[in-house]
Amino acid sequence: MASIAASSSTSLQARPRQLVIAANQVRCFSYGRRSHLSFNLRQLPTRLSVSCAAKPETVDKVCAVVRKQLSLKEADEITAATKFAALGADSLDTVEIVMGLEEEFGIEMAEEKAQSIATVEQAAELIEELLLEKA
Amino acid sequence: MTLVSFPPSPARHFAVVVQVNYLSLSVVDLVAAVPLEKKKRLSLELMRISVMSQLQRSFSMEFPSLVSLKLPSPMETHLWYIRPDEVKSPSLLKHYSQLLSPSEKDQVSQLRGDALKKNALLARTLVRTTIARYQTNNAVDPRSLMFKKNTYGKPEVDWQNYKNYNNPPLHFNISHTDSLIACGVTVHVPVGIDVEDKERKIKHDVLAFAERFYSADEVQFLSTIPDPEVQRKEFIKLWTLKEAYVKALGKGFSAAPFNTFTIQSKAGTKGEYNLCKTSEMTTSSLEKTNNCNGGWKFSLLELADSHYAAICIEDDQASSGGAPMRVIVRKTIPFVEDELISESKLLKVV
Repeated sequence: MASIAASSSTSLQARPRQLVIAANQVRCFSYGRRSHLSFNLRQLPTRLSVSCAAKPETVDKVCAVVRKQLSLKEADEITAATKFAALGADSLDTVEIVMGLEEEFGIEMAEEKAQSIATVEQAAELIEELLLEKA
Repeated sequence: MTLVSFPPSPARHFAVVVQVNYLSLSVVDLVAAVPLEKKKRLSLELMRISVMSQLQRSFSMEFPSLVSLKLPSPMETHLWYIRPDEVKSPSLLKHYSQLLSPSEKDQVSQLRGDALKKNALLARTLVRTTIARYQTNNAVDPRSLMFKKNTYGKPEVDWQNYKNYNNPPLHFNISHTDSLIACGVTVHVPVGIDVEDKERKIKHDVLAFAERFYSADEVQFLSTIPDPEVQRKEFIKLWTLKEAYVKALGKGFSAAPFNTFTIQSKAGTKGEYNLCKTSEMTTSSLEKTNNCNGGWKFSLLELADSHYAAICIEDDQASSGGAPMRVIVRKTIPFVEDELISESKLLKVV
């Protein structure tokens, strides 16, 4: 079975929910003595989203920073897939969120990247990338 | 002998007008005694009414059609704004929602909470109705306007449906806050606007924020302000000016990171600003002047006593001759009313 998790998450920036993978899914399979290339463009059920490659703890910390910055109520739901704009964040909020994340994780984000993160997931993945580089 | 009396009832009137359109003046011709000039006038009047009634048919009969607008002159910006708390009528909001494209309606529905949804609805309505009103030659249905994004994601009007019209080279840009939505319009030159609530609280230390994102000269300027409240206000003014520039440029934030340019007020003027590119190597004052050589005009206003609004337009120095930007500000509720905000009410921020 083709391994979805093996595909690098950083190549899936657009995050379409329904369709998973295109170029990454070229695999050579050996079933018995035959091997064939399989281009697997499987239609996954729409509810199944591509799993976020960032660790849950990172995602949670990001959510906490976003909650604080946007003064969200307890009842306001925020998950990995949540878009900042959907919560009412404008560009000033996004920059403040970036500052909060830099403080929380002890990293520095390049401004262009900082302006381009639009979801909790994207922020978490960028953070982990930067933490890896730092290590 | 009477001709069709004006205004007739809609059903009968429609039938009469159809006949005039197809049979060209035969209704009017029947009345032989009417002089030629009057016939021409009457037929034109009938044509005008037919266009208006067809437009009204496509909108709700309750709401008047959009009043058309005169284009901005060169180097002039028209700034329109809506206060969401002044728009409460459910039937008016429903009328607005009928103007949006399917993808716009989709985006509105993805927002969390009624206030955000309403603001997004009003923002799209403001853009569509304002642009439609500037089409002075032919009436444009705000619903039929299409929009596209430039290579960097800046929204602009897509005139593909209106190729035969004389489309004025209109540029627009919007900005919203919780309590005010604004749309700036210019001809010929790109425009960027940004509005912020004057009382907006920054969650971080203002200087720390500036040191992280603004230019060294701007940090220097902010750090000399003793009163933290004044400092916060100046920070916000700078933010709106810098945002307005990046939006006018239309190439995304990576083309003009905030720390690569300085905006400072022009000495001896009120509300005018200069943009200077910063550079590690600017040691001589000559180099510094060269980095500040215009190309963009700024204006900073206080709107409705509650917001700062910054406007940035590309400066065609040859024709403008260095004169300050003229701004005409109007508060509006689409289909309901416009209010011209007099210059005296608009405190040009020093």
